[in-house]
Amino acid sequence: MAEVKTQMLPMLKKLRNIPREEQYVPGHRTCAGCGPALQYRLVAKAAGPNTIFVGPTGCMYVANASYLCTPYQVPWIHAQITNGGAVASGIEAAYRARIRKGSWVGELPNVIVMAGDGGSTDIGLQAMSALMYRGHDALFICYDNESYANTGIQTSPTTPYGGNTTFTPPGKAIPEGKRLFPKDPPQLVIGGHPAVKYVATASVAYPIDLMNKVRKALNVRGPTFLHIHAPCPKGWKFDESKTVEMARLAVATGMWNIYEWEEGVYRYQYRPRELKPVGEYLKPQKRFAHLQEEHIARLQAFVDAKQRAIGVPVKVPVPVPKAVL
Amino acid sequence: MAKEMTLSGCAATAQAVKLAKVDVICSYPIRPYTAAMMELAKMVAEGELDAEFIHGEGEHAQLSVVYGASAAGARTFTGSSGVGVTYAMEVYSPISGARLPVQMMIADRALDPPGDFGSEHTDAMSCRDQGWLMGWAESPQEAFDNHLINYRIGEDRRVMLPQFVCQDGYFVSHIPGKVLVPDQAQVDEFLPAYDPGSHVLDPKKPMSHGPQIRPDQGTIMDLQRAQAFLDLPAVVKQAVGDFNRIFERNYAPFVEEFMTDGAEIVFFLMGGHAATARHAVRHLREQGVKAGMVKLRFVRPFPTKEVGEVLSKFKAVGVVETSTSYGGSMRGGNLLPEVRAALYDAPTRPLTTSFMAGLGGDVVSLKDFYWMAGILTAAVQAGKVGKTVYWTGLEKA
Repeated sequence: MAEVKTQMLPMLKKLRNIPREEQYVPGHRTCAGCGPALQYRLVAKAAGPNTIFVGPTGCMYVANASYLCTPYQVPWIHAQITNGGAVASGIEAAYRARIRKGSWVGELPNVIVMAGDGGSTDIGLQAMSALMYRGHDALFICYDNESYANTGIQTSPTTPYGGNTTFTPPGKAIPEGKRLFPKDPPQLVIGGHPAVKYVATASVAYPIDLMNKVRKALNVRGPTFLHIHAPCPKGWKFDESKTVEMARLAVATGMWNIYEWEEGVYRYQYRPRELKPVGEYLKPQKRFAHLQEEHIARLQAFVDAKQRAIGVPVKVPVPVPKAVL
Repeated sequence: MAKEMTLSGCAATAQAVKLAKVDVICSYPIRPYTAAMMELAKMVAEGELDAEFIHGEGEHAQLSVVYGASAAGARTFTGSSGVGVTYAMEVYSPISGARLPVQMMIADRALDPPGDFGSEHTDAMSCRDQGWLMGWAESPQEAFDNHLINYRIGEDRRVMLPQFVCQDGYFVSHIPGKVLVPDQAQVDEFLPAYDPGSHVLDPKKPMSHGPQIRPDQGTIMDLQRAQAFLDLPAVVKQAVGDFNRIFERNYAPFVEEFMTDGAEIVFFLMGGHAATARHAVRHLREQGVKAGMVKLRFVRPFPTKEVGEVLSKFKAVGVVETSTSYGGSMRGGNLLPEVRAALYDAPTRPLTTSFMAGLGGDVVSLKDFYWMAGILTAAVQAGKVGKTVYWTGLEKA
């Protein structure tokens, strides 16, 4: 098959290397301190003008795309919450055919799906997986605010254990709120999609790393996946001036890992030398305010096991009741 | 030069899609439509058709892939049957609302339960109000022709709407018939290369597709889609006229009449069972029964004016219902309510009733049509119909 993409976006070393041009401009209706909006701006900047965004239903659809007033400087299309991966597949296929047949002249555009955690790992999982399996040249981003926030903060597969959402309210019978542990989206992709060459996680707390991962993904010919941590002040119930702090704390406590996976090789970034206890991350967020010591211990054990697996030294900072382990 | 081939409905569809030079095809297997995709897969594998052939992960994905591809300026094709048609339901309205002229073949099939391969129109008819064109073919030839006619109509700048191009499962999709397959130059004359216009996902002309609206912006947008359907009849007539001229055919745009001269009772139906109805009408005429047949070629847009004008000539009309509408106003299928509505303003109204027939892929036999003719004749004699629905083969006249 003839090569229809030659782009090599350069890596960014410092903040001042970041393009001044905005592809996602102000004027939308996201909440103050919105993590997803912040990452959207960074992703769009990194991708540049030869880009098409696919926006499955979610916060980044509803709060951004109002008729006659959308923040996108590049083409954008709404997809159902179910089908971001499939719509992106169709766009990529159309451009391949049109470039080959001569009905469109130019470089294959960057096709980026900007899906929430529900649109990536729950109702949109099938379409996402199929895009990865079929090998389309497209980047699928799961911006993770750990709930169905747009519909009023309901639990999603990435809501942490113990999260208070409107579908997992803590009560007498279920004191911890959410009882399940979250899905691991990048591992779902890495584990079963041989066409995928690049997968990474990122966080709004580390913008240069985030933007370089976007560029790296877009420089790959084939499907790529980014999982971006994007704190939600409204859903997690913390002060809206603390979005970046919350994102940093997630990394410092091991609640979020930053890494990339390139053709089988893992590289970790911002891996803490010493983990802070998860309690430091939970405390400023009212979604965890109801948790009792045993619940926090359970979450700590989950985090510790995950960290041990990737070689981060773990010292269990709080006593864990035997019943839990 | 056109060549004559012996093709099933599905194979005829594939030939038409190839001659339409589609850019993106999205497949998912379900019987019986899947035979068309198998043909197309072979054509792509042999290099006879230059198209992206995407293996969708389900019918919902099939429609989602062609939605994206069409928005990016490609001519697209997909298809399905039965529960596959209803599984994709979410995506039909976004496609028509975005005014994307996607084409979908439906080789119809009964919905579950029970598991049943047979033809029935309920799958497609359940989707008839999603803003797509919809019509049935009676034969592989008509299926072939309808694909080209529908691309031409749907892609017309005055229309820009998706099309369900339907054929009866097995009766049409799998029974071979003679098909005149025209050469590429003829098809190119009738169907120019797809011009998506300016409303395309293109980084050179950035545009947002499908943002949210306020409630007060909703009605005007619905009116635009409705208006496109009001503008459709003129475009259909023009396209069918051009088709008849270029390919030497003789299609009525909306309503075909068969042996209706002097007819008092007529069968009104669409799709493959029309082939049996034609024989039944001939035999009935030989026996002195003044019978005829009226075949509907498009159920969306419903040709209200034509149906009203044509049917008001007769004394009794028997609508052959091949889809169900449980609890509906006529207690049977979906066509009689439309037929009665079309006749409401007619100067003279025939007696009308309906016959549930051919459900689950059941054959509608000559005997069944004779039985229907008996009921219609009795109604004419009595000057009234006994009821609005009869279950063919399951009740006495």
